[in-house]
Amino acid sequence: MFANFLIGLREGLEAALVVGILLAYINKSGRHELAPRIWAGVGIAVAVSLAFGALLTYGPRGLSFKAQETIGGVLSITAVGFVTWMIFWMARTARSLRGELEHRIDTAVAAGGASLVLVAVLAVGREGLETALFLWAAAQATGSSSQPLIGATLGLLVSVLIGAAIYRGAVKLNMARFFTWTGALLVLVAGGVLAYGIHDLQEASVLPGGNSLVFDVSSTIRPGTWLATLLKGTINFSPATTWLQAGAWLLYVVPVMVAFIALMRRRPTAPTAPSAGPRLSSKEQVA
Amino acid sequence: MSLPTRRTVSFVVCSVALVSLASACTDKAKTVTNVGRDITVVSTDKACTLSSANAPSGTVTFAVENTGSQVTEFYVYGADGKRIIGEVENLGPGTTRKLVVIAKPGAYITACKPGATGDGIRAAFTVTG
Repeated sequence: MFANFLIGLREGLEAALVVGILLAYINKSGRHELAPRIWAGVGIAVAVSLAFGALLTYGPRGLSFKAQETIGGVLSITAVGFVTWMIFWMARTARSLRGELEHRIDTAVAAGGASLVLVAVLAVGREGLETALFLWAAAQATGSSSQPLIGATLGLLVSVLIGAAIYRGAVKLNMARFFTWTGALLVLVAGGVLAYGIHDLQEASVLPGGNSLVFDVSSTIRPGTWLATLLKGTINFSPATTWLQAGAWLLYVVPVMVAFIALMRRRPTAPTAPSAGPRLSSKEQVA
Repeated sequence: MSLPTRRTVSFVVCSVALVSLASACTDKAKTVTNVGRDITVVSTDKACTLSSANAPSGTVTFAVENTGSQVTEFYVYGADGKRIIGEVENLGPGTTRKLVVIAKPGAYITACKPGATGDGIRAAFTVTG
């Protein structure tokens, strides 16, 4: 039961994290009416994943390994794009807030509205099929033992609770801290998802180099332990990492983190310094 | 940062649809011709037992049951023991999952990986013409 619990926890954690931060952001920027879009995205992803998973588990047709890995890989890499957009979308609003350019929040949020649904769909759905297949397998075992299903469900529930805790914690932070910490965390999450997607494509032989490992610490950080579960569930740390994964991770995380920090440090000057105001506005137009 | 465009969205939808449609779905219906192509695998913490070490070419289904206490994975590799032909992961204790492989005649290597790490418990597997 415990092993099944850890799988459920790991599969749910990252999605809970992203959705928790997104909802906290919407709460903090006072656009509560956008929350249903996030929930709609979550609902669509869960429903499609469960339905597709059930079809493959109980239906007459299975999905080839290569197809499943390719779906996982392509969805993951697409999710990276959307999470990256979300990071900078939030950061831009953060700057506007501090620069007291209130109307800009409205423009940014309005522009982002449609994409919010997709961010939620991808955050939950990118590994939704694998999670659904795992859940249905646990459900199928219920004839002989209900332990797998109980374990898996409890794991997912705990991941949702952690997401709720992150939401509550994040809402309490002040604006500057909120954006800095959640943004930096999301850059790491997205970098991990990218590496994960690359690994899926390597396993499917769509990309080469699946056996060229840059490091293998799986004897220290053993899969199936708490530590490995939490590292994998949040930043997608894989104990055995290929060169291509590590390279892609670095090429993503370093420039994006630098750009994010630069954006956050380029503080709009307080209204007491009048000269900064208009200059900032023109920059905002460009950005 | 520009917004994800409609093009991005349709790219996602199309990729998924293409992958799902273009020969990605494999038939796992049991017919007379499927005799010998349904293999059961029992993975424990120490052993990996297959109901048969060979199968006729075609759509071979491995029903992998984890009777151990750890999470396990099951792999079918090419003869080199590296190229992955098929893999099923996240097999929690007490669960059974199916791996569907479209197998051409040749030599393969199967592996159970209790604990989801290492080279696994390997064995030779032959697909006949």
